[in-house]
Amino acid sequence: MRQYELMVILDPEVEERTVQPSLEKLLTVVKTDGGSVDKMDIWGRRRLAFDISKKSEGIYAVVDFTSTPDTAKELDRQLGLNEAVLRTKILRTDAR
Amino acid sequence: MAKPVVRKPKKKANPLKSAKIDNIDYKDTALLRKFISDRGKIRARRVTGVTVQEQRQIAKAVKNAREMALLPYTSTAR
Repeated sequence: MRQYELMVILDPEVEERTVQPSLEKLLTVVKTDGGSVDKMDIWGRRRLAFDISKKSEGIYAVVDFTSTPDTAKELDRQLGLNEAVLRTKILRTDAR
Repeated sequence: MAKPVVRKPKKKANPLKSAKIDNIDYKDTALLRKFISDRGKIRARRVTGVTVQEQRQIAKAVKNAREMALLPYTSTAR
C-alpha cells in the first residue's frame, strides 16, 4: 500500500453541487480494491493558466488516498476515460 | 602590474530559509511564482539564491504545476 495524492481538473460545466458525489463515484475503485480515501479537498472553480480543450476554467479537486500501485494506475486510466475530467495527476506523497 | 580586481560575489539570503519552508509543493503557486519570471520562465539559481537541491525541487514543482495549469508555460506579459 502506498500513499498517493491525486489532483483532477473537472469540466467547468459540471455543476458545483454534483462535484462531490461524482468524485466519490470515480474513486470507488480505490475502495473496492481495499484502499482508502483519506482526504478530499475540493478547491472549486479556478482559472486555468492556459486553455485546456478550449476551456479557460476548471474545477480543481485534490484527493489523498492509500492504495496499491496497480489500483492507482487503474484509477488514472478510468479518470482519463471520463469526459468530465480535463486533466489528472497522481503523485506519491512519500516520494522524495 | 595592475593587481587583478578580486570580486567577492555577494551571498544572497536564501529566500526559503527566511520563509521557513522545508517542503516545496507544486500546489503552492504563490511561493512558486517568486521563482519564475514575469514571462513564466524559471529563474536561475544565481538569481534565486537557493541551494542546488532546493532549486531542483523548485524546478520539478514548477513543471508539475504547469502540467496542471496552475502556472503558465509562457505568458505574453510584455
